Amino acid sequence: MHFLSPSLLWFLLAAAVPVVIHLVNRRRHKTIEWAAMQFLLSATRQYRGEKKLRHIVILTCRALGITAFAIAAARPVVSEIIGWGSGSINTVVLILDRSASMEIKTASNQSRRDSALEKISTSIKNLGNPRLMLVDSASGELQEISSPELLPTLSSTAPTDTAADIPALLNRAIAFLSDVTGRSEIWIASDLQASNWLPSDDRWNTIRSTIATPPEAPTIRVLSMNNPSGPNAAIRITESRRAGDELLLDVEIHRDTANKDAPLSLTTHLNGSNTSENIATTGKLARFQKRIALPNSQSKGHGWLSLGADANTRDNTAYFVYGPSRKAVSLVVAAPGESANYLALAAAPPGMNMEAPIASPDQAAQKISPELAAVLWAAPLPEGAAAEAMRRFLVSGGHVCFFAPVTQSRNTFNNLGWSPTTMAPAGKFFILKEWNRSDGPLRDGLDGSPVAAQRLKALRRQIPEGDATTLARWEDGEPAFVRRIFDHGTAWLLGTVPDYSWSNLGDADALLPLVQRIIDEGNDRFQNSLSTTIGAENARPQNSQARIRIHGPGDELTADVFLAGVEKSDNGLLAINRPVIEDAAESLNNGAINSLLEGTRHTLLDQAGNDSDGKGSAEAWRLFLFAMLFFLIAEALLCLNPKAPCTVHATSIPKRG
Amino acid sequence: MKYDFIDSPLLARLSSLPVEARIAMTGNMAGRHRSPHRGSSVEFAEYRKYVPGDDTRRLDWKAFARSDRFYIKEYEADTNMRAIFVVDASGSMDFQSDGESKFEFARRIAASLAYLLVNQGDAAGLSVCAEKLQLEIPPSRRAAHLERIFSALDSIAPAGETGLASALHAIASKAPRRSFVVILSDLLADTAPLANALRHLQQQKHDVSVFHVMDRAEIDFNFERPHRFVDMETKTTIVAEPELIAEEYQRALNSFLTSVRRECAESHCDYRFITTDSPLEPLLRDFLTARGVKAKH
Repeated sequence: MHFLSPSLLWFLLAAAVPVVIHLVNRRRHKTIEWAAMQFLLSATRQYRGEKKLRHIVILTCRALGITAFAIAAARPVVSEIIGWGSGSINTVVLILDRSASMEIKTASNQSRRDSALEKISTSIKNLGNPRLMLVDSASGELQEISSPELLPTLSSTAPTDTAADIPALLNRAIAFLSDVTGRSEIWIASDLQASNWLPSDDRWNTIRSTIATPPEAPTIRVLSMNNPSGPNAAIRITESRRAGDELLLDVEIHRDTANKDAPLSLTTHLNGSNTSENIATTGKLARFQKRIALPNSQSKGHGWLSLGADANTRDNTAYFVYGPSRKAVSLVVAAPGESANYLALAAAPPGMNMEAPIASPDQAAQKISPELAAVLWAAPLPEGAAAEAMRRFLVSGGHVCFFAPVTQSRNTFNNLGWSPTTMAPAGKFFILKEWNRSDGPLRDGLDGSPVAAQRLKALRRQIPEGDATTLARWEDGEPAFVRRIFDHGTAWLLGTVPDYSWSNLGDADALLPLVQRIIDEGNDRFQNSLSTTIGAENARPQNSQARIRIHGPGDELTADVFLAGVEKSDNGLLAINRPVIEDAAESLNNGAINSLLEGTRHTLLDQAGNDSDGKGSAEAWRLFLFAMLFFLIAEALLCLNPKAPCTVHATSIPKRG
Repeated sequence: MKYDFIDSPLLARLSSLPVEARIAMTGNMAGRHRSPHRGSSVEFAEYRKYVPGDDTRRLDWKAFARSDRFYIKEYEADTNMRAIFVVDASGSMDFQSDGESKFEFARRIAASLAYLLVNQGDAAGLSVCAEKLQLEIPPSRRAAHLERIFSALDSIAPAGETGLASALHAIASKAPRRSFVVILSDLLADTAPLANALRHLQQQKHDVSVFHVMDRAEIDFNFERPHRFVDMETKTTIVAEPELIAEEYQRALNSFLTSVRRECAESHCDYRFITTDSPLEPLLRDFLTARGVKAKH
């Protein structure tokens, strides 16, 4: 509780006046000589219990009445945010979560962000307008707000398609408050989305240690806006690529538990034309591939997929851009032979718009170019110029898959190497036992069907050595397939080759999907220039670029960098979508927040199911005025001492005078 | 008149009202009151047979002529009345809230009635009691005797505890039977001893009147601020807030008054509750008139 006129609280001392008067009166009694003492003694003996209690209650009512009046005069403000135990506040730093998930509509058809802004605006106003600083999650910039009433109208509090980095914002607020004197508080209005709060981030340790130590450390108040909402679905295009006259879109739809089996309406917008369809999905996460036929005449274009209206319309749209069809060119580096042929066939199957020339290791240095989608290397690890060319290719985003070199070689490439060749026991094979089914080229398909990697049997093998992530293991636990990230590119090492004397990899059960996925990922870097997410480096307009939005939410022709849409610049079209983490529905519970802010002065205001009033705070002087009236009326009623009528002698006692 | 408690105009107005006895009196002089004995008044009482030694002058010759038997004609005897005023002079009688004290008020009543009695030929005496019987002036019908009574009333200062019950027992024992006993007191004592004393007086055939004198403040008890009450008799003190205990006080007072009234009724006393702020003339006029009516019956 905060008081707008705290100086009037001195009147609370007046509550002692009735008690003091009572005590003084008892001491300042009048002495009188009295004859009818026997009645007085009898009356005093009978004055016990209930009457004495009533007298005490009367005194208490008087004191409480004055107390309530004094509090009412001090204009108390009861706030859902600041609670009852707060004094005056000099500075409030508001951290506003403007992420897309904050646009979920509540039962009152108000977004979480709007609801938070309304509550905070009212609370700040009722707190006597302390200095208000705003840190919005989209820009991360600190700005002073002159009047809390302006909060809902500012562009810096408007909805966005961004994600939020709460630890970074909190650090920003703490850094600002370190130079501010007086009592300060940090208010965080957020839906507690785990992907925004990053509970496992190391920065929380720093935050805790910073604001837990000094006595003047700010109080943190978390306004949890994770109100229950209606059904919601979020759509995302995980990958888009053009294959001739078709655009292949890998689509993900996240749905909440409330409506996971209901059909969805999906609308495809392509260069001004719309087509709608109903799709039946099951489960909270649905993945499918959307094929869109492209007019032959169009080499490039844009569009978006959208879902029907639900609780949050900001995650109902996924934008895409396509360019001219691009041939995926890969390079197979291997000695001529069976392995080279299998790899070239897997990299460029007949009928596909793909190309996979074969080169010997000696030619590799000249053949490796940034235009390649991937390099399939079935030879001793590169050295010299070839190694240098390979590094440049990897750093630029290229993908390379090294296969067992067949020949014994102790070459290393960036500390990666091969063990000596080992033979399987007679009559037995090295069998692939386990592999990562959610990550890497051996992951399951969009429809959940697994790659038949268990069919891979090897007579010979070489174990990848060096610091790399294991994605698949042989039956005896030795690594079979590993990955090493090189800046933007990736190197893969598979411990066998598609050669009948080594393994059945050439049967294509595992080889074809493995090679095609590596090439796809390598080719994606050319496609990725057509799409990005808000907050990514390439989503920020360069100073030299004249970039305009040609389509966005509600066809807004704005250049707001925090909104998803399709933008046009000198470099062509760019689809900008919301960050992937924004679709993660997991949110932190109160225990997790308390754990994150352990050791700090913090309060958590849970707004779940509490969005009906939309005020957040209110002056409570009326409440105390009513309390005062109640106490005074109670005192009056108790003082109305109904004297028993003198029935016995009423007629016998002479009237006065 | 040198005594300020004597109101001559009032007494002059009341002189037309006689002080009647409710029962037959036994006086030592002929008077205006009925006697239990046969006498020589003009009022016929009864016939009785002649017995030797009777005064032949009292033979009813007309009755002899009609019946050939001698009958003596009896007449009522009239006698005077002996009144004893018992005035409570304990410390509580000195209480006064406004105007005069209870003792002063009782003194005025006693003096006025004594004057009226002597003036009509009856005898008046005075007994003053506090812790014990302090003063006894035997009844006398002489006018000079009034001066003695007035002087005594004038000189008494109320003090000490109440010993009314023992004083009444003493009076009941010593006073001649069939006297008029007038008690003027606030009766602030235990009612049981008082009831016994009243019954003792009744057994002695006394005509007892009780003037129960109280102050208006003692009845209303409407003080507003805390008071330290000092007992006028024992000097013990109580600090109390009258507002808080007024209800209990009234309850105790009513209980006391009910008890006193009941005891007086059982002892056939003429009980009168009066407050010191009451005007004296209506009070005495009502008292005398009521007694007159009862005497005729």
